[in-house]
Amino acid sequence: MSKWMLIPCAVLAAATTVTAQDARQVVAEAQARSTTKSQRYEGRLQVVDAGGKTSEKRWTYTRLGSHGASKTIIRFTGPAEVKGVALLIVNFPDRASDQWMWTPAINRERRIATQDRRTRFFGTDFSFEDLEERDVDHHTYVMEGEETLEGERCWRIASTPRPGRRSQYTRSTLWIRQSTYSFAQVENFNGSTLVRRLRYRDMASVQGIWSARTLEMHDFTRNSRTILTLESLTYDVPLRDDQFTVQALQRS
Amino acid sequence: MILLRLISWPYVRKHAGRALLTVAGIAIGVAVFVAMRAANDAVFGAFTQTVSRLAGATELQVTAGFSGFDEAVLERVQAMPEVAVASPVIEAVGATGLPGQGNVLILGIDMTGDRSLREYDLESGDAAVLDDPLVFLAQPDSLMITAEFARRNGLRTNDRLPLDTVDGRKEFVVRGVLGASGLSGAFGGNLAIMDIYAAQHVFGRGRRFDRIDLALTPGVALDAGRQALQQALGPGFQVQTPSARGQSFESLLRIYRLMLRFSSLFALVIALFMIYNAFATAVTQRRAEIGILRALGATRGQVGLLFVVESAVAGCLGSAVGVALGYALAGGVARLIGTLLEGIQGVGQGQAEVTPTPWLVGVALALGTLTSVLAAALPAREAARVDPIKALQRGRLQVLGAGENRARTLVAAGLGALGAALFVGTTSLPAFYVGYLCLLLAALLLTPWLSVALVRLLRPALVWLRPTEGMLAADSLIGAPRRTSATVSALMLAIALVVGLAGIGRASHGQITEWAESALNPDFFVTGSPTLTGRDYRLPEAMTGELAKVEGVAIVQRMRQPRVAYRNSLVLLMATDVESVGRTARRTVLEGEAADMYRRVAAGEAAIVSENFAAGFGVHAGDVVELAAPTGMLRLPVAGVVREYSDTQGALIVDLALYRKHWHDDTVDLFRVYVSPGAVPEEVRGRILTRFADQRRLFVLSSHQVRAYVGRMADQWFSVTWVQIAVATLVAVLGIASSLTVTIADRRREFGVLQAIGGLRRQVRAAIWMEAATLAVVCLVLGLVLGALHLYFVLQISYRDYPGLRFDYAYPSLVALAVCPVMLAAAVAAAIGPAESAVRGSLVEALEYE
Amino acid sequence: MIRLDAVVKQFDGKRRVVALNDVSVSITRGEMVSIVGPSGSGKSTLLNLIGCLDRPSSGEVSIDGRRLSGLDDDELTRVRRDTIGFVFQFFNLLPTLTALENVALPLHLRGWSRHRARERATELLGVVGLAQRVHHLPEELSGGERQRVAIARALSVYPPVLLGDEPTGNLDSRTGEDILALLTDLHARLGTTIVIVTHDMRVAQSCGRTIAMRDGQVVGDVRR
Repeated sequence: MSKWMLIPCAVLAAATTVTAQDARQVVAEAQARSTTKSQRYEGRLQVVDAGGKTSEKRWTYTRLGSHGASKTIIRFTGPAEVKGVALLIVNFPDRASDQWMWTPAINRERRIATQDRRTRFFGTDFSFEDLEERDVDHHTYVMEGEETLEGERCWRIASTPRPGRRSQYTRSTLWIRQSTYSFAQVENFNGSTLVRRLRYRDMASVQGIWSARTLEMHDFTRNSRTILTLESLTYDVPLRDDQFTVQALQRS
Repeated sequence: MILLRLISWPYVRKHAGRALLTVAGIAIGVAVFVAMRAANDAVFGAFTQTVSRLAGATELQVTAGFSGFDEAVLERVQAMPEVAVASPVIEAVGATGLPGQGNVLILGIDMTGDRSLREYDLESGDAAVLDDPLVFLAQPDSLMITAEFARRNGLRTNDRLPLDTVDGRKEFVVRGVLGASGLSGAFGGNLAIMDIYAAQHVFGRGRRFDRIDLALTPGVALDAGRQALQQALGPGFQVQTPSARGQSFESLLRIYRLMLRFSSLFALVIALFMIYNAFATAVTQRRAEIGILRALGATRGQVGLLFVVESAVAGCLGSAVGVALGYALAGGVARLIGTLLEGIQGVGQGQAEVTPTPWLVGVALALGTLTSVLAAALPAREAARVDPIKALQRGRLQVLGAGENRARTLVAAGLGALGAALFVGTTSLPAFYVGYLCLLLAALLLTPWLSVALVRLLRPALVWLRPTEGMLAADSLIGAPRRTSATVSALMLAIALVVGLAGIGRASHGQITEWAESALNPDFFVTGSPTLTGRDYRLPEAMTGELAKVEGVAIVQRMRQPRVAYRNSLVLLMATDVESVGRTARRTVLEGEAADMYRRVAAGEAAIVSENFAAGFGVHAGDVVELAAPTGMLRLPVAGVVREYSDTQGALIVDLALYRKHWHDDTVDLFRVYVSPGAVPEEVRGRILTRFADQRRLFVLSSHQVRAYVGRMADQWFSVTWVQIAVATLVAVLGIASSLTVTIADRRREFGVLQAIGGLRRQVRAAIWMEAATLAVVCLVLGLVLGALHLYFVLQISYRDYPGLRFDYAYPSLVALAVCPVMLAAAVAAAIGPAESAVRGSLVEALEYE
Repeated sequence: MIRLDAVVKQFDGKRRVVALNDVSVSITRGEMVSIVGPSGSGKSTLLNLIGCLDRPSSGEVSIDGRRLSGLDDDELTRVRRDTIGFVFQFFNLLPTLTALENVALPLHLRGWSRHRARERATELLGVVGLAQRVHHLPEELSGGERQRVAIARALSVYPPVLLGDEPTGNLDSRTGEDILALLTDLHARLGTTIVIVTHDMRVAQSCGRTIAMRDGQVVGDVRR
């Protein structure tokens, strides 16, 4: 899962005062401050569609490693129809992630074809691409200035995919809080059309890392929102590599 | 053309009935042609559309015959740089538990990857299509149905829908509704989508896929992509475009289409003779008129042209009527073909829309007009050659030179000899066709001579029956061979067609029954599908032992019968316990030695091929067949050739162990079960059903049921034949009616003279009736004889050109017998009207009639 | 032999045409009568009525003392075939039958045996001078020969009355004379009553009696 989404946290470390900031440096700093060895939380996912219909799911999220080389397991815990369904996501620095799914009802695992990264992630407003971990080096950045967003001073930075990197978005705008180097908002565009907006809210310092405990993704093409609430969030929990394999996926 | 209005129109008005019959002749010919073509186009158009809808953006499809293949193949395909998206598919026909809804085609696909290939036409935004994708995948009872199907059955999201599965009938939950276009339009809405892994489970596929649909990386040419895939996967796989795959499906019906083509052709040829007859009569009747025209300065060309234009107008009118009639009939024919296709595919296409295409209308009009002009060409030439002076001398008839007869006989002899030589002497197909055409032409050329000879033979019988009238009838026919030959030709062809069709019907029916009785002799067939040909529900290997343990079961033979690719065709591979089958159900051996053959095949060293396979591919005992298995090329010597009608494309029998080794497929389509001596079959059947009742969906078919099923399939096929026979008979009846009307009306003066010199009315009437009946007899005799030849040809063609069916020659005597009274009655009935008008009309007028 | 009493014949088409208007004629046995008149005068209609080919609109035709008005079609046919022989302008031979068969045809219609019919036909063809051409089809014969065959056919049962509708009208004058000579000869030899409709004054003059017609009425009746 993406760092931007799930660990949008930053610690204001030591004494470095950043003044005239280089856009890339800001993003790199934000990434550095959010880097942890592992993570676990209980998530609650609410999808509110254009008609106001709400559906809710719960999961347990565990991650080992960070950025370029991380592995994640999501186990759904509710509602009953999806209880036991588990996802294993293996991220690579240089290519799209591999994903497997375990469905207990037919007692088998499956590989999820992710050739099309625009596909929505299981009925949420996140696309598979939104869930991929993006390294700071995958984009080029331009500082567009400073803005106040929900009462906090933020840098506003334009981000464009480097040549050769394919994306459904032609550009994105990032808002990074100056106080904590944590992400506040990301807007994704296709041409001049705003496609999706991700907001990072309910910031709190968890084990010294500034973390958003509510993430809100707004899909403007379908006018639908997904709200992810993180509970029992902990970092650097002891986890082993063999807990993140297809075989391990089947053990619940 | 002023001549047309001044000369032709009054004539047509005067002989309205006759003109109508001429036009009707063309109309029927064209109607048959149009109906057959339009129906064919409609059904296959719908089929092609379905194929393309199912295919969506799929550029290529990977299959391994109908046997399916390992899941691992998908990863190999996905890993190729040429491939942008690859998505696995399982296609199965499922029976819905809803009354009157029949079967649905269930497409098992991977919803996480398939989106980019197929258009799901989301009804109102993405969310409406699938209520919750995660639930859809998490629950194996998830089903997505079409809006059309939902509407028909009042189904909504989260409603339950019963569906037969390998494990018995199960309730499925509608978790999505497909919009009105795109995929939804295929199969008249009888289509459902299931998660592929759930489908594997429901249809007993194990960890196998039926097919992979893929789109190529942008920039990769279709052909290059296909070659790369073919090379990577090996010869055991077929990499085809969706439409090419659709075509191989269509090819399963090609014999049937051949028969349709024959019928249309015959109908037109018969029309040709009917028109010829009408025009030849018209020219005779209008000789005086032509003489006047010529005397007034019309050139030969103008006179000839007049008739050609007349025929073109008649042809145009007839074709127009025929096109309309044809399209009216096409709906019924389309339903018939649709049923056949459904028999092969399992799911109906929905109502095929027959819509007129400019192309077909154009071709039909052109064909009808051309036929008409062609038919009128000879009479027109004759009209052009009319000598004005002689024509104006009333009562003088112009005669043809005696030379024509000799030339005719010579040409016929030449053609006959050539035809016979081509028929017997070569194996080349075009030569064979030309040979047949030569023989047909020879027969047609000889028709006048033959009919005269026949009437001469019949004369004593006629005279014995009614001395005066019989003699009159016979002499009239003998004296005017040309007048009747067109009628005889047309009817001879029609009857030959009937005989050919009925002969195929009889031969195939007889042989299929015989085969069914020897090859399908187990007490029971245990299958997951309600029919023997259905391969949608497969059974697991584990059932073999369980079945054998059921009390009263003596022998269990496993059978897996997928279609596999052989030289660009899809043939049936019958993988079974050959050793055991060789003991219980031996087929009629045509090549090879039975005991040795079964031994070698049971050992996995060889294959047995069906007769039609041997004929179709020119393979004989001792030859080697190369089969493309997923594991590579499999070379098998042919141990023998047997009579086997399981498939029209040909079948191969191999041992099950061999199949499993090379295809990695351990499912079973059906079990052949023999009960122990002394056991009561019905009880054993009950025990089998009880034993598996709560485990899986199972059909225990008795051999009686299976044979009845085979019979029904055969009957379905023959229903087409019967329709064709009916059309041919109708054409024949119409032909004899039109010809007699024309010829009798033409001879009013003759009948007037008869009465003037003392003939009683009833004498004249009886003479006309006897003449009509005699004509019918001549047509029947010649037609039934030509039919024998024609039947031989059709059987040969289905054997040489379309290696689907090979049947022994059997003359359809019953149908032939049935045709006789029909034709006689038609002839006499047709003669009644003209005869009455001939005897009742004013004698004075009749005598002056010309 | 032949009596017409106040015979009227009208044709009801778009325009009513009175072909015969109150005609009374009597012809005795053995007469050779010619009927002349311009076309449309009603002479052919008169002949058709005598020949039982048609029925009058009013009036009575009787032949051999037998009144025709009460007879049905079959009885009429019987009178015709037993009493009358026809010779047509256009011969009206059946093109599919040989000369012999054409002549034998009326005999067959009377139920004669094949052998007897052929014998009589051969004899008759001899009478008309065609013994050499018995097996020829009409189309292989000249106009005069055809008319001889037609006459032979008309004579097949030696009917007491022979009717000719322009029997020479379709022949050149030389042949016409031959046919006329034949008819006169037959009249003389067989005593047949002969009635001929003609345009040809020479034909008319060679008959013992000439009836002239005009506008549906008899305007002259001359016996020589």
